[in-house]
Amino acid sequence: MNASIIDPLQGDFPEVIEEYLELEHGIMKCIAFNRRGTLLAANRAAGNLCVENVSLLCMFLALCHGSPSAIDNTDLSHSRFVFGLFGPFTLKSGCNDGSCVIWDFLTRGVAKELRDSECSSPITSICWSKCGNRILVSAADKSLSLWDVLSGKRIRRIVLQQTPLQARLHPGSSKLCLACPLSCTPMIIDLNTEDTTFLKVSVSEKPNGPNPASRNKSSDGSTSFTPTAACFSKYGNLVYVGNSKGEILVIDSKDGEVRGMVPISGGSVVKSIVFSRNGQYLLTNSNDRVIRIYENLLPLKDEVRVLDELNKSFGDLNGVEKLKAIGSRCLTLFREFQDAITKVHWKAPCFSGDGEWVVGGSASKGEHKIYIWDRAGHLVKILEGPKEALIDLAWHPVRPIVVSVSLNGIVFIWAKDYTENWSAFAPDFKELEENEEYVEREDEFDLNPETEKPKGSDVNEDDKVDIMTVEKDPNFSDSDMSQEELCFLPVSPIPDVHEQQDKFLESSSKVVDSNNSGSPFSEEAVTNEHMMNHASSPVEDDAAGTRIKRKRKPSEKVLELQAEKVKKPLKSSKSSRTKTKYLVDENAGNDFYYDELSDE
Amino acid sequence: MATSTNSSNSSQPYKPYRHLKTLTAHNLAVSCVKFSNDGTLLASGSLDKTLIIWSSATLSLLHRLTGHSEGISDIAWSSDSHYVCSASDDRTLRIWDANTGDCVKILRGHTHIVFCVNFNPQSNYIVSGSFDETVRVWEVKTGKCIHVIKAHDMPVTSVHFNRDGSLIVSGSHDGSCKIWDTNAGALLKTLIDDKLPAVSFARFSPNGKFILVATLNNTLKLWNYATGKFLKIYSGHENKVYCVTSTFSVTNGRYIVSGSEDRCVYLWDLQMRNLIQKLEGHTDTVIAVSCHPRENKIASAGLDGDRTVRIWVQDS
Repeated sequence: MNASIIDPLQGDFPEVIEEYLELEHGIMKCIAFNRRGTLLAANRAAGNLCVENVSLLCMFLALCHGSPSAIDNTDLSHSRFVFGLFGPFTLKSGCNDGSCVIWDFLTRGVAKELRDSECSSPITSICWSKCGNRILVSAADKSLSLWDVLSGKRIRRIVLQQTPLQARLHPGSSKLCLACPLSCTPMIIDLNTEDTTFLKVSVSEKPNGPNPASRNKSSDGSTSFTPTAACFSKYGNLVYVGNSKGEILVIDSKDGEVRGMVPISGGSVVKSIVFSRNGQYLLTNSNDRVIRIYENLLPLKDEVRVLDELNKSFGDLNGVEKLKAIGSRCLTLFREFQDAITKVHWKAPCFSGDGEWVVGGSASKGEHKIYIWDRAGHLVKILEGPKEALIDLAWHPVRPIVVSVSLNGIVFIWAKDYTENWSAFAPDFKELEENEEYVEREDEFDLNPETEKPKGSDVNEDDKVDIMTVEKDPNFSDSDMSQEELCFLPVSPIPDVHEQQDKFLESSSKVVDSNNSGSPFSEEAVTNEHMMNHASSPVEDDAAGTRIKRKRKPSEKVLELQAEKVKKPLKSSKSSRTKTKYLVDENAGNDFYYDELSDE
Repeated sequence: MATSTNSSNSSQPYKPYRHLKTLTAHNLAVSCVKFSNDGTLLASGSLDKTLIIWSSATLSLLHRLTGHSEGISDIAWSSDSHYVCSASDDRTLRIWDANTGDCVKILRGHTHIVFCVNFNPQSNYIVSGSFDETVRVWEVKTGKCIHVIKAHDMPVTSVHFNRDGSLIVSGSHDGSCKIWDTNAGALLKTLIDDKLPAVSFARFSPNGKFILVATLNNTLKLWNYATGKFLKIYSGHENKVYCVTSTFSVTNGRYIVSGSEDRCVYLWDLQMRNLIQKLEGHTDTVIAVSCHPRENKIASAGLDGDRTVRIWVQDS
């Protein structure tokens, strides 16, 4: 909406850490945005993990990484991916399992928690439905759960034979899902009937084709027990599978038949595979440390029919050759990204929302580096975070924001460094790229008002204006939503806690009223508060106590004590300052701050 | 009675609004009146320190909300019509549950009269403007103030979010009208920067593309803020002193509706800019107007010499 007045000269990729999200009890493991980027969901792990659990956690992660990354959060099918977290291993209070947390990305606060009383296992992935009304969660206890976001209730829960490492909802319906289990082939499951279609992960004959690079692993035949990456095409008619032989298989999602095959040069294991939001580019991340971008040659909607035609036109070929020939009409290699010097493995690579950028995390231990390339293949930025390994990454669907998850379960939000735009300060200021010599009009600075020509408005007041029509966001132009999209969860203010405190404050504010006007303290109060708000930036303070937030909140008791404390200084007449202190207390719950300010 | 197809056809002759009812429950000037977004409720705020929630169908008094220690200048509804936020001269804002009439939250921080307030469409933020010359953005859930913007050099007279909540427009007695980025709290554009006349009211059009600005020289202008040019001028009413509110009427044709200091409600044709109707009846300045979101119904509020809320309807 504000694109029309935002300075076009500013780059549109993130530069600095703007904020971080942290759970009080538990850590986040992987992340994903909903379709509009308004909500973010995450699973939480319990805060007090015991040692064995930690090691278990690590193991599980490792498994995950060799496989479809738990978070390809590009919004390939417009599903919003959520942060997939690992469930709590032990529960501190009542809730005994891996819950899923949805963040309001605007306020950066927790909007909802989905808690599961049956499942207490680590969660391996989360996926939003396109409309945002449903969330699919896969867990290490082999279950898939479908949640209704608004009500926070679980609609379905089914248990598979194998642990799904990743599960994605069909872009067109939230009853079909694609699951990639630990040790069997990917499958498409009808969540209502539990009908399962297994997808092939290899074609029977060896691909010994013209590509000399596709040598090795294809021949050893040990295929079916390797985790396999898979994703839906834009409208879900096809599934693209990246297998352990370094091939991309194009599979009809209806019958599970392989319709085409594209060998990847190098032939090494495909770790993840994901579409750009517009469905025109496919990204693969392989074990050979190369991210490859393929251009999708098939039409977005009628691809199955086109595949049928291709099938006919290559009627003279058989088996693998035919699949390859068809495959060459499906995808064509567009770019390769790698770091030739450090040769790092990549983690969770994905596209930006508009497909203009490709982002990948370095998989090196103890390193939190995010590489951003433009689609032409140039490295434009390396973001360096804290010395904690990066385990997941997502680009906001519409804004130049990247979120990354560290091994410690903290989510970092990377955004553009805000620079002041001088043209904002007056209606006729313009931002120039370089200096221009100003040529004044002959009479421009004459004092004679008559020469001042009335600045004729070039707007015809009779032109019709349309105050109602909203243009569709080009990013979502494909929207063919049958169901009403859920973008926001209703917010309820947390009721103010202490009746007593209220009363006290009432009086305090009256005192402020009485002697505040023009007092130097009023200004000070503003400043302090202002600073507070900024200084404590990533800090959240749910004064009344949601359980999850970015910083510890004081216990009720502490709050009471503070209320007591605040009362005393009230006796002094510096009421506005007192008010500030109160705010500080409330916000930070921190005696240190309190004292500091009193000494001012 | 015309059929519904007639009523949606703007070429049909204009059916005038008529007075339906006068609501007299406030003891002092009524400063603001607003229909809820679902159209079921009507809230009015007054200098008598109370808010009243009315049923917009029966026009009966449902709740009287008491708690503010000074008069109320503005009110705003959350998108789900569940909460009302009031801005008061006691320097606080209060969030009320409109169903129960309970005050659920008090927002403190302004150091002077709080004069204007609005929810964002997502209703997770509240924006307020004050005589302390700041615009503040508050998080609804926690009540925390997330931005203190030193926006103007004189009292802030109005604040409003655009359709997707990404922008805030603010107007001030200092004669400027500015557009802010909600997330960063940063100035994006200065739409108007004159010393005079004072900007008394500003709001986005329903689609967020235009801004309707009232200035204390008896003028309403519709601006295209992207180009920085105004498109339409509406005049004829009287507005030199008070921050009289105006709004878009979209339920039956497209009109601009505004209060006026000559005790009337004015309706202009949005496109032609000509005066369509003057609603007479109030006995003092009409300070606020609100249009029902679906029905052809207007509520208006009168200052101290009047102290009433009047409801006007258009027979379809």
